Amino acid sequence: MSKETAAVTTAAPLLELRQVVKLFGGVHALEGIDLTVGPGEIVAVVGDNGAGKSTLMKIISGLQPADGGEIRFDGKTVELRRPVDSTALGIETVYQDLALCDNLDTVQNLFLGREETSSLLRGARLRRADMEHRAQETIRRLGAKIPSLRTPVGRLSGGQRQSIAVCRSTLSNPRLVLMDEPTAALGVEQSTGVLDLIRRLRTEHGCAIVLISHALRDVLEVADRIVVLRLGNKVAEFDNSDRTTSSDQLVAAITGISAP
Amino acid sequence: MTTSNQSPAAVAATSSPPPVARVEGRQSRRRQMLDAIAGRYRFVPVVLMLAVIWAFFTAQDSAFMGNRNITNLLVQIVVTATIALGIVFVLLLAEIDLSVAANSGAAAALTAILVVNHSWPAWLGLLAGIAAGAVIGLIQGAVVTQFGVPSFVVTLGAQLMLLGAILVLLPGGTGQVSLFGTGIATLSSTYLPPALGWALTAAGIVAFVLLRLLALGESRRRGIDMSLVREVVAPGILVGAASVTAVAVLNSYLGVPLPVVILFALLIVFSYITTQTRFGLHLYAVGANPDAARRAGIPVARAKMIAFSLAGALAALGGILAASRLLGVSASSGTGTVLLESIAAAVIGGTSLFGGRGSVWDALLGALVIGSISNGLDLIGAETVVKYVAEGSILVLAATVDSILTRGSVFARATK
Ligand SMILES: Nc1ncnc2c1ncn2[C@@H]1O[C@H](COP(=O)(O)OP(=O)(O)O)[C@@H](O)[C@H]1O
Ligand SMILES: [Mg+2]
Repeated sequence: MSKETAAVTTAAPLLELRQVVKLFGGVHALEGIDLTVGPGEIVAVVGDNGAGKSTLMKIISGLQPADGGEIRFDGKTVELRRPVDSTALGIETVYQDLALCDNLDTVQNLFLGREETSSLLRGARLRRADMEHRAQETIRRLGAKIPSLRTPVGRLSGGQRQSIAVCRSTLSNPRLVLMDEPTAALGVEQSTGVLDLIRRLRTEHGCAIVLISHALRDVLEVADRIVVLRLGNKVAEFDNSDRTTSSDQLVAAITGISAP
Repeated sequence: MTTSNQSPAAVAATSSPPPVARVEGRQSRRRQMLDAIAGRYRFVPVVLMLAVIWAFFTAQDSAFMGNRNITNLLVQIVVTATIALGIVFVLLLAEIDLSVAANSGAAAALTAILVVNHSWPAWLGLLAGIAAGAVIGLIQGAVVTQFGVPSFVVTLGAQLMLLGAILVLLPGGTGQVSLFGTGIATLSSTYLPPALGWALTAAGIVAFVLLRLLALGESRRRGIDMSLVREVVAPGILVGAASVTAVAVLNSYLGVPLPVVILFALLIVFSYITTQTRFGLHLYAVGANPDAARRAGIPVARAKMIAFSLAGALAALGGILAASRLLGVSASSGTGTVLLESIAAAVIGGTSLFGGRGSVWDALLGALVIGSISNGLDLIGAETVVKYVAEGSILVLAATVDSILTRGSVFARATK
């Protein structure tokens, strides 16, 4: 069995999951998961296909309510039944299948659903210039590389689109950002860009991040703590605050086969 | 189309070896071209097509470009353009409404009955007809969004029900209602005094330029570079020249017809809503990626229901304007080529059948194309067969162009 390290729990946890269960008919997608995320902490969730990673994230983002267990945010028990329940708490989500509209430009995508407009008396106009200005600032601060804010995003590369999705999650000054496979569709260079973005997200915004990823190299590089799921159970947890976890240890925990 | 290289930055300037770079360069120029024609400059090929059609018919018969025929043409296209305007909204959301023609006939029948048989004042009858059309659209939108039934089936069924409703509404015996001498008939026979026509035109142009200047000022104050020529001067001259020419021609005959004023008022209001407001932006978002829109908190079902009721209301208004021009309503109201022409107008004008792309002005441009063909063929005495074949084939051609542009351009991924 893999080495288990007690989590270094900082002060009061931001998010706490206790014995969270999710069933799909007869399938136990999650069989009682405990997860703690401290303020400003980057926690990675890894596991094989079907381990329950996406399900776990959908529960935290309010897309699919849990069937059992308790969720605490800021020490208070919360009900996450719909996406607005999570966003109201300051939880933002970057979805695996990039939720961008290809016909809209970068500014429009960044602000989609929370556009700034003038008052009804002043014509209820979109405050395009203000939003474009804020978009420029956000993109510069996070060091994302977007060529033009005014062309439809359909023409942008996967890395650029992912960067937009990440930048988008920061606009509401969230306290926790969930990311499902943010580098899955990207090449090496683009992945590096997005990982930089994730690190900056923490340093610039101080928000906590739950990162789901198959890319173990990425995880070992950015995560403070790594949680391993297998078939709906948490089977291991590694303290990676000093970035010393080895990928052999991780692979062994994910597959359940001990390294020789 | 030199303007198409507005986004050279969009093409990553990597340090790839020369041969690859050259192929990429050629591909990217082609892509930029497609992007421009599929996007911001979608109206250019349509205007070119219109110019060719006008040149052809003027060569056949010089009366085509006369002030009398132009006035006729504009009055003729008002009905198609009004109904097509509603179709644009539905198409933007990647839906379709096949009931608009029947809806227009039913609403016209209702208005005619209320005004003629029940002596309602014309304006009240008009409002009642429009409201009925809106409710019928809303019900269809509700069935589409709440039960997930494909819109082409719901609206196809509704079409037949509405055609039935027309038969029920119209009196037995004659099967028609004459609007002769009613306030509804006056709608089409009213022309603006020349001075009023000019005043409204001037006001429209000034408002357009001011709005553009306002946006430019706001951007510059925020340190965002925007070109005065590209954003204000060029569009201002284009819009100004087109409207001044049109009004000059109309004023040299009887003046600007009231239905044309109504159409332009609608186009201006809906143009503002679709390009300047949050609701308008959300229409484009929902049409391109409903899942992304839903996750962003946009009420997708509500947007669709509003679009369907707008389509219903505009179809009703179109039907009442048609009845006003024809001085009555009969069992043939809202049948014939009305449906094909309205959908064709939206698509020919440049609104994509795949959702998320289009402009309310497409309704006007497309109606001009299809109306000019119909008017020109009438003028040179072509047979109905020729008209049907010409109109049908131009719809298929426009839809083909739409598919090619959608697949080859920046919008390709949106339709996957
Ligand atoms: N909507 C669903 N309906 C039925 N089963 C589901 C659904 N979503 C996930 N599952 C099942 O739950 C388990 C965990 O899936 P998921 O969370 O997507 O895993 P991962 O993201 O780690 O690959 C799998 O067995 C999967 O088949
Ligand atoms: Mg997954």
